[in-house]
Amino acid sequence: MSVIRVEGVTRDFVVGEETVRALRGVSFTVEKGEWVAIVGQSGSGKSTLMNVLGCLDTPTSGSYWLNGHDVARMGDDELARIRNQEIGFIFQTFQLLPRETALANVELPLVYRGVGRKERRERAREALEKVGLGHRMTHRPNELSGGQRQRVAIARALVAEPSLLLADEPTGNLDSATGEEIIRLFADLHAAGHTLVLVTHEPKLAARCPRAIRISDGTIVADGPGREVALGNLAEHARAHG
Amino acid sequence: MRAFLDNLRLAFGTFIANPLRTLLTLLGIVIGVATVIAMMSLIEGLRLKVNRDLSQLGANTFQVTKWPVGFGRVNWNKYAKRPNFTLADRDDVMKHATLVRTVSAEDAHGGQKVSTSDRETRPTVIIWGVTPEWTETSGVEVQSGRFFSQAEELEGRAVAVLGQDVVDVLFPGTDPIGQQVRVRNRPYTVIGVLQRRGSFLGIASMDNLVMLPMHAFHAAFGQNRSVDLNVQAIDAASVKQAQEEVTQIFRRRRGLSPFDENNFEVHTNDSMTRMFNSLSQVISAASFGVCLLSLVVGGIGILNIMLVSVTERTREIGIRRALGARRRRILMQFATEAVALSLLGGVLGIAIGYFVAFLARWVLDFPAVVPVWSVVLSVVMSSVVGLAFGIYPAARAARLDPVEAMRSE
Ligand SMILES: Nc1ncnc2c1ncn2[C@@H]1O[C@H](COP(=O)(O)OP(=O)(O)OP(=O)(O)O)[C@@H](O)[C@H]1O
Ligand SMILES: [Mg+2]
Repeated sequence: MSVIRVEGVTRDFVVGEETVRALRGVSFTVEKGEWVAIVGQSGSGKSTLMNVLGCLDTPTSGSYWLNGHDVARMGDDELARIRNQEIGFIFQTFQLLPRETALANVELPLVYRGVGRKERRERAREALEKVGLGHRMTHRPNELSGGQRQRVAIARALVAEPSLLLADEPTGNLDSATGEEIIRLFADLHAAGHTLVLVTHEPKLAARCPRAIRISDGTIVADGPGREVALGNLAEHARAHG
Repeated sequence: MRAFLDNLRLAFGTFIANPLRTLLTLLGIVIGVATVIAMMSLIEGLRLKVNRDLSQLGANTFQVTKWPVGFGRVNWNKYAKRPNFTLADRDDVMKHATLVRTVSAEDAHGGQKVSTSDRETRPTVIIWGVTPEWTETSGVEVQSGRFFSQAEELEGRAVAVLGQDVVDVLFPGTDPIGQQVRVRNRPYTVIGVLQRRGSFLGIASMDNLVMLPMHAFHAAFGQNRSVDLNVQAIDAASVKQAQEEVTQIFRRRRGLSPFDENNFEVHTNDSMTRMFNSLSQVISAASFGVCLLSLVVGGIGILNIMLVSVTERTREIGIRRALGARRRRILMQFATEAVALSLLGGVLGIAIGYFVAFLARWVLDFPAVVPVWSVVLSVVMSSVVGLAFGIYPAARAARLDPVEAMRSE
C-alpha cells in the first residue's frame, strides 16, 4: 500500500475575476520509505502540492489517498488528527509562533496530541538538540538567525516522530555547511524507514535523492532518479510519454 | 482538563503580553461588579443596622400618629386635614384599652440651640416633649439624676433631661444636675441625663436632644400640633390585638363609619422593617441597573478586544490548526481567554467592592458587610458575560482555514 497516491489532482485559486490553476492534474504515488524531491521553478505549484499532501488544503478535483484512506472523505477533526500524528510539515516560511520560545514552538504538536507537560518538554529538548539548537531553547524566533529558525521548524516537524515528513525548501535559508547537516539528518531519517518528500531549488540536493519529480506550470514534467531529473535529462522523456 | 490548563496558560500569557489593553478592556466589568458588591454590602449593612436600631425601640411598642412615616410621595393635603392627636387621646386609650400596659405621648421640634450662661450648642438639638411614661415605652433609661414625674408634667414644670451630646457641649467635666439651661430664652432646670444611645443607622446621633415635660414643651412651642402616641402592649403576644383594639377605640372616638378608612397611622417595628425592605429593593434594583449596563459595556469591550485578538493572531491560529489543533480546541482557547479576561475583571471588581465596604466601615463607621451571595453572583455574572461576548470571536477563530490563515501577515 502506497503512503501517498494522488490521481488527477487539480487546485484552482479564484482571485477576483481570474482563476489561477496552480495544479492541473497531478498523479503519482510514493511508497513507504521513499525519499522524493520535488523540483520546479518558482510559482510552478510545489507549495500548493505540499499543502494538499499535508492535508492542509483540499484539491479542487482529483483524489488523494493517504495510507490507503481517501482524504476527501475525512472530517475536519480526522484531518487535524492526521496532521498532528502522521505528518511532520516543514513550512517554506517556518511558521513559528513569534511570542513563544523555541522550546514551546517545538512542543506544540505534542500539546495537541495530549502529551503531558514534563514529557513534551523533554521530547522537545531532545528534538532541538538533534538539530543542534540545544543552546538556544529559550530564545524567541526574532532572537534567532534564519538558519536557526529553520532548524526550530525542523525540530518541530520531527518531535512527534511522524511517518511522513513533508519539507518545503528545508535548506533554502542555510549555509552549505548547516545545509549539509540537515541533509544528513534527512538521510538518517530515510535510513530509519521514514517517508520523505521535500521541495528544493537546489539541483545538488535533488541529485542526492533516490527519486525526484519535476513540476512545471502545475503539471509533472519529469519523474525519475534524482540525478537525472535534477540535470533535466528526463524532461523530454516525460513530455514524450506524457 | 490538560487542554483546559493549557488554554488557561495561553490566556494569561496574552494578558501579560498586553497588560494595559487588558486592563482597559476590563473596566466595564470591573465597574459593574464593584457596583454590585459595594451596593450590596451597604444595603446589607443598613439592614443589620436597621434591625439592631429598631429593636432598640421599647419592647412590644407600636406608634399611633397623624402622619405616615414615608420616603416621599406623601399626599400632604390629605394628611394635613386629619385631626390632631392630643393628650386627651392618650388618656382615653389608657382608660379604655384592656391590652395596653401604658401609653406615652411625644412630640419633637428640631434645630434648636441650647445654652447655659457661658456656653451654647449648635442649632441642631432636637427638643422633645414627652409624657413621663416615655422611659417605659422607649426602653431608654436615665443615666444620672431622674426622669420627670407625673406631678412635674401636670404642673408644667420647667425641668429638662439632657442627651449626652448636649451634656458634652454644655457641661464638659461638670455635673449638669441642678444647673440651668435655656431653650428659646426659657430657663429649665436639669434633673437628669439619658444613657448614651449612639446613632440611628450610623447617620443621626440619638443623643443630641433635650427632653421636656409635654406641658412645658407646649408652653414653648405651642399647642396646636399633633402628638405621637407610643403604645405598649401588655406582652409580646398581645401586640397585634392591642393594635386592633386601639384602632377601634380611635375609629369610635372619631366617629368613623365602617366604610371610612383610618384617618391615623399605626406603625410597628414590622411596618418600619417592611418599609426599609421596600426601600432597599429600590436601591438594589437601581444598582443592578447600573451594574447590568456596565456589564453590557464591558461585554462589548471584550467582544471588541477578542475580535482584534483573533485578527492579530490569524497566523498563530493557522499554525496551530496546521499542527493538529481541532476547531473545537481553537474555539475553547479563545472562549477560555474571554471568560478568563472577564473573570479577571470580576475579581478586580470584587476586590474594589470589598475595599469600598472596608472604607465605609473604617471611615464612616458604617457596618457594611459584603454578602457571600453577591460575590458568587458576581463571579457567575462575569463568566456569563465573558462567554456570551467571547463565543462569537472564538467561533470566528475556529472557522479559519489553516492555509489561508498562515498566509496572512
Ligand atoms: N492562496 C492562493 N491564492 C491565489 N493564488 C495562489 C494561492 N496560493 C498559490 N497561488 C498561486 O499558485 C501558483 C503556485 O504557487 P506555489 O506557492 O505553489 O508556488 P511554488 O512552486 O511553491 O513557488 P516557490 O518556489 O516560489 O515557493 C502561483 O502562481 C501562486 O500565485
Ligand atoms: Mg513554495
